[in-house]
Amino acid sequence: MHLAVEALTAGYPGHTAVRGVDLSVPAGQVVAIVGPNGCGKSTLLRAMARLHKPSSGSVRAGDADVWQLRQRAAAHRIALLPQSPQAPEAVTVAGLVRYGRHPHQGLFRQWSREDEQAVREALDATGATELAERRLDQLSGGQRQRCWLAMVLAQQTPIVLLDEPTSALDLGHAVEVLELVREVAAAGRTVVMVLHDLASAARYADTIVAMNAGEVLAHGPSREVVDAALVKELYGIDADILRAPGDGSPVVVPVARG
Amino acid sequence: MSTAASPTSPTSPSSPTSLAPGSGRGITPPDSTVVRAGTLSWLFPYRSALAAVGLGVLIALITALGAFASSTGMSFGDTLKGLMGTGDRATVMLVQDFRLPRIAVGLMVGAALGISGCLTQTLAGNRLATPDVIGVNEGATAAVVASVVGSSTGMIGDWWLGPLGAVGAAVLVVLCAGGAGGRGYRLLVVGIGVSTVIGAVTDLVMSRENDNTAGGVFLWTVGSLSGRDWTVGTPLLAVLIVLVPLALVAGSRLQLLRFDDDMASTLGVNLTVVRAATLALAVALAGVAVGIGGPIAFVALAAPVIAGRLGGPTRVPVIGSALVGAALIGAADALGRVVAPVEIPVGVITSVLGGPFLLWVLFGTSRPASGKA
Repeated sequence: MHLAVEALTAGYPGHTAVRGVDLSVPAGQVVAIVGPNGCGKSTLLRAMARLHKPSSGSVRAGDADVWQLRQRAAAHRIALLPQSPQAPEAVTVAGLVRYGRHPHQGLFRQWSREDEQAVREALDATGATELAERRLDQLSGGQRQRCWLAMVLAQQTPIVLLDEPTSALDLGHAVEVLELVREVAAAGRTVVMVLHDLASAARYADTIVAMNAGEVLAHGPSREVVDAALVKELYGIDADILRAPGDGSPVVVPVARG
Repeated sequence: MSTAASPTSPTSPSSPTSLAPGSGRGITPPDSTVVRAGTLSWLFPYRSALAAVGLGVLIALITALGAFASSTGMSFGDTLKGLMGTGDRATVMLVQDFRLPRIAVGLMVGAALGISGCLTQTLAGNRLATPDVIGVNEGATAAVVASVVGSSTGMIGDWWLGPLGAVGAAVLVVLCAGGAGGRGYRLLVVGIGVSTVIGAVTDLVMSRENDNTAGGVFLWTVGSLSGRDWTVGTPLLAVLIVLVPLALVAGSRLQLLRFDDDMASTLGVNLTVVRAATLALAVALAGVAVGIGGPIAFVALAAPVIAGRLGGPTRVPVIGSALVGAALIGAADALGRVVAPVEIPVGVITSVLGGPFLLWVLFGTSRPASGKA
């Protein structure tokens, strides 16, 4: 499903976090929003996820304005994994993933075959099937993040939003999650994620959106967008941009200051 | 009696049984049976259902014992016959017209308090968040005291004054807190403040009354079922019939509030609506219960905790809390009539039990229950 942000402005009393941002994400693409702390990337993501009401502009998911939809209808189109989600006490992995089916359930549709199938597929896709009956709070950080992703996948939305999905993970688990994100997009879903790490953003996203002070500075394929000037502008540091020997994706190496 | 000898009962969730790939186990909700018809599907929670049946039997037992307690020379067998309506006329009349109404009111008050506590505890994500905190007790007491002081006879006024005062106080608290927003912490703090003010005004008025009036009101302020009959039972029943189904629907939504707000929203829960509706239900239920039975302590706190233990941690125990609340008040009321020569009000009994229980909640249950190991 196509996701389109038009002239979006959002903020808090006395502070405009996002100023007139336009963004268009075709179905099946991975977009990474990068930028320094406080640049408005999280607010932008929250506005897309229907969590932060923009002061002007629109977010369209397919043919519908997200903010015109009812909460449940929006949950059929857009799923979000917040940065550090809080799980119900003592929940098992399968229990967590089952919650992903909530938007599809009702008084007369409490546990359909589709629900069962979606949960099974989500657990399979994230390699969490063996963990299904374990308690979430007894897992490692990497395992836990896969389980949260499973829950988001079980929601079966065409659009998936991820807020810094790798921020608490070591390199191995971070790569594991990002590979998973690629698979999700390959299956036709649209993914927008906020990432801190410019190198993994460059490597795993089709498109990079670089934000600073609430505005989009650069927008395009990572190999074209990421250069020393952009890094300087975003983070105020000098850096060398190397090319990864494998696929030529840009690698940012900050220059040590004197 | 085949208890510990059986080796085939590893039902704890952490049992290391391996799963056949593709089996529904581990994926379908535990403690439940799926019932499907075409595109419709239901989950029948058999663990909760079993607990409900057990509690139902317990309540029946408590009802019989309650009818038997304080009996003047009536045998237990005769009491049962009276309950069933098969005994002689005098017995049937004594049991059904004089004892049963009070017991029924007690059970209904307990059920309402239990559900109300369940809703507020889940709403705030805190076991100590009971409807008492948002002023229902003080509101009801103030209204009743006002009716006594305002009347020329010094009698407690109409039954609906208590519920009215309770709901009024709660509404005042919500208005002062500026809505039911957030996780309700603001509501709790404002509730404590407003309750204290209302309570102080009530005490001030009481202190200027003579001992006779104060004595009559005192019995009310500790929570007593003495003299309650169908004049209050019928409206209470009507309120429960309307509100319990709504509470069940709210309970299914409240489950999602165990996540943080962002997650719950993206899973399709309209938090503003769910919070406001749940709070309104909790206030209405607690208001009516407290308004009729007086501020009976501890039931709204304990019933959901006990029901959660019985029904498993995965669901919001609306029905379970109702049944446990009913059983608690039924038992406390029966106990109050047999342990001493003069009847001890039900609220005093629950207060005596409530202190230790509160400590147990505070110190003993920080670990979520998962098996008894």
